[in-house]
Amino acid sequence: MATALCGGLLLAVMTGPEGSITQPTYAVRESLFTAHVYGYIVFGLVVGLLLTYRAKVKNGSWRQIRSAPRRTLVDRAASVTLPARLVALGVTAVLSLFAGLLFADFSGPVAANKFSWHAFAHQFVFTRTYGYLALAIALWFTAANQITHLTRMRLRSLSRLQIVVGALIAILFFSLAADPFLPPRFALSSLNPVGKSSLFHHWTTYLWLGVGLVGVYSYLRKRDRLTGSTAPRRLQRVAVSPSMRMISYLGAGFIAIEAPKFLSLYWQISLYQQIGVYCLLAVGLNIVVGFAGLLDLGYVAFYALGAYVTAYFSGALPLQPPFHLNAFMVIPFAVVIAMLSGVLLGLPTLRLRGDYLAIVTLGFGEIIYVLANDWVQVTGGSPGTGSVSGFDINLLRIHYSWSPANPLSYYYLMIGVLIPVIFLFDLLNNSKVGRSWAAIREDEVAAQSLGINALKYKVMAFAMGASTAGVAGVFTAVKVGVLFPNTFVLQLSITILVLVIFGGMGSILGVLVGAVFLQWLPAYLTFHSYFGYQQTDLYLYIGALLVIMMIFRPQGLVPSRRRQREFADAESGQGSADALGPITQEMPQ
Amino acid sequence: MLNFLVQGIFTGLIFSLVALGYTLVYGVLRLINFAHSEVLMTGGFAGYFYLHYTIGNHSAPNNLWSSLYYIVTGVLVSGIAGTLVALIIERFAYRPLRRRNAPKLAYLISAIGASYFLLNLFGKEFGRYPEGTSQPFNDHVVTTIGGAQFTMYDFVILAASVILMIALDFVVSRTKMGRAIRAVAQDAETASLMGVNVNRTIGSTFALGGFMGGAAGFFVAINQGIAYGMGFKPALLAFTAAVLGGIGNVRGAMVGGVVLGIVMFTPIYWFHQPWLEEVIAFTVLVLILLFRPTGLLGERLGRSA
Repeated sequence: MATALCGGLLLAVMTGPEGSITQPTYAVRESLFTAHVYGYIVFGLVVGLLLTYRAKVKNGSWRQIRSAPRRTLVDRAASVTLPARLVALGVTAVLSLFAGLLFADFSGPVAANKFSWHAFAHQFVFTRTYGYLALAIALWFTAANQITHLTRMRLRSLSRLQIVVGALIAILFFSLAADPFLPPRFALSSLNPVGKSSLFHHWTTYLWLGVGLVGVYSYLRKRDRLTGSTAPRRLQRVAVSPSMRMISYLGAGFIAIEAPKFLSLYWQISLYQQIGVYCLLAVGLNIVVGFAGLLDLGYVAFYALGAYVTAYFSGALPLQPPFHLNAFMVIPFAVVIAMLSGVLLGLPTLRLRGDYLAIVTLGFGEIIYVLANDWVQVTGGSPGTGSVSGFDINLLRIHYSWSPANPLSYYYLMIGVLIPVIFLFDLLNNSKVGRSWAAIREDEVAAQSLGINALKYKVMAFAMGASTAGVAGVFTAVKVGVLFPNTFVLQLSITILVLVIFGGMGSILGVLVGAVFLQWLPAYLTFHSYFGYQQTDLYLYIGALLVIMMIFRPQGLVPSRRRQREFADAESGQGSADALGPITQEMPQ
Repeated sequence: MLNFLVQGIFTGLIFSLVALGYTLVYGVLRLINFAHSEVLMTGGFAGYFYLHYTIGNHSAPNNLWSSLYYIVTGVLVSGIAGTLVALIIERFAYRPLRRRNAPKLAYLISAIGASYFLLNLFGKEFGRYPEGTSQPFNDHVVTTIGGAQFTMYDFVILAASVILMIALDFVVSRTKMGRAIRAVAQDAETASLMGVNVNRTIGSTFALGGFMGGAAGFFVAINQGIAYGMGFKPALLAFTAAVLGGIGNVRGAMVGGVVLGIVMFTPIYWFHQPWLEEVIAFTVLVLILLFRPTGLLGERLGRSA
């Protein structure tokens, strides 16, 4: 209880103003003796109550009030009466409306400071807002469908109609969206003859038409099969059929490709620089932390290596390369160099103890930073490098170069890299390699006795993570143009670690969700400064988040099922859930 | 040459002090305490504020006794601040996890999070610019032996760290608390069956390491001033020192620090690039792991001191 109260006060200090060494008590005083501290105290007390309740229930001194087995939201919605169901429909409608409007808001022009109704109302001038509203309504339709389906409200023919009409509307809408009248977009204009701007002359129209038709067809087929089957209801919902999965992939791809066109320039740039690159980094670190169960605190070093290799091959460093290379051609070099350094670092360290890897990588990160900052003859030192040349294609008749003026072109390139990488890693995790990683995580001694070479797989995971960071480094270097050593500091490594931990280590989906959310939030808050957020405080929150996640939910918000079970097992004394060396002795209780 | 050697030895003594914290905690919990750098930083800040409010902007006292008084009380204040922070870290970043028997990975992540949080909290509350500390004594060159200059600061560090280390060695090997620490390091379960309060013993381990770290922070603050990121580099090097001496081995940490200092600073004489020292230290770490993973004096997990 007292802890929670202190936590609330600490939160007040955390959100308070900046102090200085000359007035050491100023910041604390300012944040503790102002009116808004009461809010934090109440917050702390509420959290404390909840925690106490949870702890008491857990150790059995309080009887759990809710004794019925846990049911999902949809389950509960299915069992309630009709008026309540209507209320639920209404609530989902309002929620999705709100979500749509919020999305419209943050994609709009940058509001001056706080959330203002004026800026909000201004959104409705843009056509884009109506697009989001349409999306929100479609969302609501889906939710409503789900509920009616489960409650056996016989609306199947109607819902079929809904789907078809909805899909048609969506296709029309996005075809319009792909229309070149809208400003920033990615049209391979060099490939297209100029002048065809009508809706049905545009190739994207047909693309989306095809995607939509395939989606509707497979969805309908799936529904028919399911409603015809005699399997228990619960199984019907849990089983995800391949066609359903395909639809969700297509839907995600659809949104990923079309939605950014409606975003403001700021968000288009952030999508690549803040979110895309970090997704790639997080997915790479996930191999090390999530799949192999190792801790890498100098991840940014490999990122820096990739970036500086790119700079080297475009002649931006004082040390001149033997030949200049197109940025695309640098990627293999970056991969190989990052991978080699990963092996060199991992081999001696992992041979002995997994937990030393954390501090060795910490040291390596520092060394790379020092080299970039001080080895002026080679890296150019703290003033930064020269300008790095960008991506371009000159293949047969196709000539296209990526220019900073068009941030979406970079974004699509990133999508093009990210999707294969994600699929590759997912395959890997489900292959022999992934199973070996799992075995090593769960019980290294047993795994070794089954003939799994633990060292090999650990070094492999480490090197693969490193090479992914190398690729991300190339992409950053090309977009940023000039590299400064200050970019590649420890803070960045920790930030990437947070992205992995928050979403759920070991689950690619979780990591992506975490990366997108945690990278989006600061970028959003920077311009809307709710809760007295200052950009310098970001790392304060990140540190606190790490501790809190480890204490309350080490498996992350969207955990992989296997990893979650491992954590639970390890806590009850089975296995280790990480690969930090064989268990020599039980940890003291 | 000799100058660099001397510089290495006396900087190494500070590493030894910090390395003790790592090695004690590693001996008991088998964990690298990533938040130890923040113990050092807190010690430094405590020392700064103590000297700032006692000596202030006056010049350093010339009187031997008042200098001695400021040093001893300063070390005590810093050490106690370090102890408090180490205990707080143990309470909030380690104990909840220990209660759940969490995997090692969770401890490491939680510790790095705690370290990061404290670091930035200090940065936020006390400003993000480095600041010089008031001097408790006149730092001047005392003697010159064969071209190597010995300053007052060197002697102070030598005396203080030798006293602190002897005291620690005594505590660990002779007192009841030390015996409890060694027992828990050997086998926590059996120790608890024998009536040792394991939680309290772990706390006292953190406290001992925290005192040493805080005291080291005091000397770093006098020499280089304070900044919210001041703990990172010495702590990293101190861990190297702990591995070099053999982790879990208290005397190993003392030797390791000095050896690391010598190995780190002496080559600068030939290379003339001061930034190389970290590169060298890091290379040393990787080389030890390659060729003598148990360190110079051998690791003594479960047989501290």
